[in-house]
Amino acid sequence: MSAESFLELNGLRVGYGGEAVLSDISMAIARGQFVALLGASGCGKTTLLRTIAGFIHPDAGVIRVEGRDITAAPPDRRDMALMFQSYALWPHMTVAQNIGYGLKLRRVPRPEAAARVAELAASLGLADLLQRKPGQLSGGQRQRVALGRALAVSPRILLLDEPLSNLDARIRVSVRQEIRALQQQLGITAIHVTHDREEAMVLADRIVILNAGRIAQVGTPEAVYNAPVSPFVAAFMGAENVLVLASEPAGDRIRIAPGPANEAAEVPRAGRDLTRGAIEARFRPHEARLHPAGAAVAPDALALHGQVLSVSYPGGQWRHMVRTGAADILVDASQAFAPGSAVTVEVPAPVLYLFNPAAPDPQTSRGATDRPVPNASA
Amino acid sequence: MSSVSNPAPSARLVGFLLVLPALAVIVGLFLMPLAISVIGAFRTPDGWGLANFTKSADLYSIDVLYTVGVIGLSTLLIGLLSIAIGGYLTLGENPRAVALLRWLYRWPLFIPFIVVGQMMRTFLAKNGLMNNVLVAAGLMAPLDTVSFLDWRGIVISFVWKQTPLVALLVAGAMASLDRGTIEAARNLGAGRLRILVEIVVPQVMPTLLVGLTLSFVTMMSVLSVPLMVASQSPTVITADIAFRINAYADYGVANALGVISLVITGGVAWFYLRHTMRERL
Repeated sequence: MSAESFLELNGLRVGYGGEAVLSDISMAIARGQFVALLGASGCGKTTLLRTIAGFIHPDAGVIRVEGRDITAAPPDRRDMALMFQSYALWPHMTVAQNIGYGLKLRRVPRPEAAARVAELAASLGLADLLQRKPGQLSGGQRQRVALGRALAVSPRILLLDEPLSNLDARIRVSVRQEIRALQQQLGITAIHVTHDREEAMVLADRIVILNAGRIAQVGTPEAVYNAPVSPFVAAFMGAENVLVLASEPAGDRIRIAPGPANEAAEVPRAGRDLTRGAIEARFRPHEARLHPAGAAVAPDALALHGQVLSVSYPGGQWRHMVRTGAADILVDASQAFAPGSAVTVEVPAPVLYLFNPAAPDPQTSRGATDRPVPNASA
Repeated sequence: MSSVSNPAPSARLVGFLLVLPALAVIVGLFLMPLAISVIGAFRTPDGWGLANFTKSADLYSIDVLYTVGVIGLSTLLIGLLSIAIGGYLTLGENPRAVALLRWLYRWPLFIPFIVVGQMMRTFLAKNGLMNNVLVAAGLMAPLDTVSFLDWRGIVISFVWKQTPLVALLVAGAMASLDRGTIEAARNLGAGRLRILVEIVVPQVMPTLLVGLTLSFVTMMSVLSVPLMVASQSPTVITADIAFRINAYADYGVANALGVISLVITGGVAWFYLRHTMRERL
């Protein structure tokens, strides 16, 4: 219990001018855990991080570290270091002064502080740059100075606000590994805000998916990926193909009635609480299989009939746009099917995500990551 | 420009004609009078020489030092107050106090120097409003009142009038800083005063220096305030120039004093330029 609730958020609510930006945020983070706050821009993830850091005061709820209530504590009394998206390095100070500033504030004796700065700079590959000013550094170097400045004061919790979003794609992948390695080596508890699903999956022990100011799902990367609890999470985790099917739960099986574009199927219930009638089905392009029309599919799989509209090659596999009934879906295959050809799409039961029809809510539609942010009431 | 292919002669003439009015204004109204004044400083009844400067040094060397002292002190105080005002506007945590200060601090900008001089004359005199209030409040005995109408009056007037301009520039520069740089320091445990001195002011230093240089040059050229507030000896150079011309029609010494104040403002400008050049490197 105590290990599980090193950092505990309970019923947090944050509003700007009466409108709730975050509501009912509760979670417990264990010591040494790396947690990613994942969500589309505007979902409140940076607000949550800044609330934890103490720059925003919640309207309601409690933040505890090791059982101690720090909800009203000022930012510097929380034993947390925040690393900013813009890095926010002080342009008039050298790299050494930037990294050492927290030590100076804590009145650490000079030789000791200098040794600590040198040690950090060495581990971050900045040893030769200590006398430079931030303006003379590359993006990746600035990012490491910001990390060094945050780590110099040995905080117990490291808060990272999209630290990689200003780096170009190739550097990002290597810096990602460095951050993870450093976090494990120091055993520090880290909360990392990102909108990049892959980054969250690679870095984090646990992922918290936020949607419109609420927690949509919390879990390990594989749990969130393989067992999304809502259409929003499924869409965010790449299951962007969406169909409406008719279901008929029967014992531990779910029967799917034949429709204009799909054949009858039966999939394991797997604990899902589905209603009778229209349900929403989602799956990922690369997890479905494409066959010539009329091919037989596995017993537990859903078969869809359609026609290839277009085909492209994004790399690795051919991506087909297939019209099936009223819906256009994307399906990857290792061979290209010519546009116009009739096909059968096979969706195996384990990767077919079924949900009750959502309340009238924009978040269940396709392309959730690219749409404007739904209202807080959603 | 030189890399652009040469335009046809007619186009060049049109360009010259377009620039001509502005050029004529600068040459006729600025460069010519300046040159005549500077040359006039070296013209004496006995021909060319440095007599005007020797006379200026004999009569007014105390006044030159007094001018530099009074205006230097004013500049220093303006700088400190501007940092305090800008700092509070940027870091203040009481939204009402910040809004009130933001509304209040700019008013002196819209009041002319001569009105400032007049106000200060009635405010700072021995029987002025300030002393009356202090006496009425029982903070001072009527016999202990002193007039502030001397160098202190000039400094108070200058600071009161010029602080808003510099504060406006400094507060603008502070407002456009990356808030993250302030929050990062706060996150590490720096107090507000420390953030102001160590994080905010160094980042707005170029703007502060521009504001102070402009202010210094403006104060060097103000005649109304010293005449209204403290025209007894010693006084500032502008009052001496006015006196030489109005009382003696002595343009030679007046011009020499003008050249001296030009050298002083030039020195300040040089200091400023040197500082900004070093910042760029």
